[in-house]
Amino acid sequence: MNRRASFTTIKASLLLLALLGLITGSSCLPKSPSESGGTVNITVYGFSIMKESLEKAIYPGFVAKVKTEHGLDVRFTSSFAGSETITNQIIAGVKAQVAILSIERDAQRLRDHQDVTSDWHLLPQKGILNKTPFVILVRKGNPKGIHDFADLGKPGVRLIHPDPISSGGAMWSILAIYGSELVKSEKQSGEADRARALQTLQTVWRNVISTPGSAREARTQFESGYGDSLITYELDALLMKQGNPNVDAEVVIPEATILSEHPAVVIDRNVSATDRPFINAFMQYLWSEEAQRAFVKYHFRSSTSEALTQENKELATIKYPFTVDYFGGWDKAYPEIIESIFRDSAQKRK
Amino acid sequence: MKIGSIRHVRGFDVARPISIGVMLGIMLPLVLLPLLSIFVFGTSKGLGVFWSSLIAPDAVFALKLSMVTSFWATVFNVIFGLFGAYVLSRYDFWGRNAVIVTISLPTAIPTAVAGFALLLLWGKYGMIGKFLSEEHQIMFTPYAIILANIFVTFPLAFGVIKPVFDTMSRSLEEASATIGATRWQTFWHVTLPSLRGAIVSGALLTFARAVGEFGSTILVSGNLAGNTQTAPLYIYAKFNEGQIEAANAIAVVLALLSFVIFSVLFFARDWLEFEAQEA
Repeated sequence: MNRRASFTTIKASLLLLALLGLITGSSCLPKSPSESGGTVNITVYGFSIMKESLEKAIYPGFVAKVKTEHGLDVRFTSSFAGSETITNQIIAGVKAQVAILSIERDAQRLRDHQDVTSDWHLLPQKGILNKTPFVILVRKGNPKGIHDFADLGKPGVRLIHPDPISSGGAMWSILAIYGSELVKSEKQSGEADRARALQTLQTVWRNVISTPGSAREARTQFESGYGDSLITYELDALLMKQGNPNVDAEVVIPEATILSEHPAVVIDRNVSATDRPFINAFMQYLWSEEAQRAFVKYHFRSSTSEALTQENKELATIKYPFTVDYFGGWDKAYPEIIESIFRDSAQKRK
Repeated sequence: MKIGSIRHVRGFDVARPISIGVMLGIMLPLVLLPLLSIFVFGTSKGLGVFWSSLIAPDAVFALKLSMVTSFWATVFNVIFGLFGAYVLSRYDFWGRNAVIVTISLPTAIPTAVAGFALLLLWGKYGMIGKFLSEEHQIMFTPYAIILANIFVTFPLAFGVIKPVFDTMSRSLEEASATIGATRWQTFWHVTLPSLRGAIVSGALLTFARAVGEFGSTILVSGNLAGNTQTAPLYIYAKFNEGQIEAANAIAVVLALLSFVIFSVLFFARDWLEFEAQEA
């Protein structure tokens, strides 16, 4: 062999050896931290914006509580995505034990599929964990002059809106836009103006430039500088400003807007008899004062106590709030508004 | 000298710098700059942030999971590549060409479709999956990731090994048979050494492709951080959460790994071919 070939051989062999070492050193499946013995494992699937409050406050709080009261270690495994996405994953068979969803319809879907057999309405607050109003995010200084949902329909406004197929937040947003027009026209003339509401929905939707898969993805896009505006959960807007104080964004509180209510359910199919007491304890913990206070700190509104909600001074006052009950619950709202009004009339672009 | 009459390459050939310049110019925005931006952004917030993103437990787990699942998929596909290439090269049978085409199909199928197909087969209500008990469900476990990796990288090792089989001179094998070697002895001592280079490059290609697999993995794994989340899934999750630095750190690791793998493939190619000829 000439000198050049032998040098290449040495280089190649060394690199190959390094690769081999890397590979064989890890040829057994890495031990998932949650599989270590002696611990209780709870698997939670949550919709996209739940991540921070759960991981930074709720989980540690519950882990500490169980440790001091029972001396046991609890380990949480979680996955976060759009509410529709996680519901579909649970239906497909992922081993989630607790699901925190954006809309109650997803809980109903899980019940119809028999993944959830217990009635979450028997839980505190009928299973509703916390709530938040829907607000509008605009750029600093509000250059496009957006003061309410109808202004989002103005020409030249570029709106980021999550995809209703995968995101619960997207559906809340649609109900917020449509409902706010109904409520405002009712206050003005005594009668809800459906035509005006539909027209607002259509003009707003025409300005949507991007439909990411979840509310959090939409926030990330907006935060990165795309678009002029975003409709999102108030808490995610506040979390964004908290995490990124220099972000080019400011919050616009609409006159009338919907309060989203988030259910927490137990996926009974994946809960064994040994897990059951811990899962039940966790569910009860979620509505305890400690947990609700933690949620308020992360800009949610408590479902148990108005006083706790008042502790967070950054939460805005909504002039005309409404909930999904205004439409007759998700049973009516989904087919009437999301499906026939939004999907069939507004979403179809010309 | 007239510019228009440059057909010969005596003296200064202006086509050389122009061609090289155009090639690099095209590569710049399409390939070079995107790669560079990963490295630039990854270290822009300081090495402290970069390092803490790298040693985060979920990140380390994701990298390990990617390495291990890709390793086993590579082992399986190289062994099958050897076996399949041997069978398809040596034996003729009805449907042989159809089999060769089918083996190559997985690269043409969108990876999301591949993942979906696996869910349809192995999922709780799937053709095979419905006969599996709750504890033995394969989907949403690391084994599903290995299955998905095997599927999408199936033809890679095979495609590298088979041409070597086809062009291999049979006379050595026949000679070995005439002096009494068994089929296995012939394979091990005569055939395999000539395939060494193809096996190594096939393995490296498969491994590199499997590490980067995303579309099928996100469907079949369940994407549980610290449990079934591979490195590409981790990057995607962190990016969607807005934690760009964390995503970037792992992206840098994966980019470096691919760089190392393909450097080996390139620099060792002389060695691989040379050794093959010698044998």
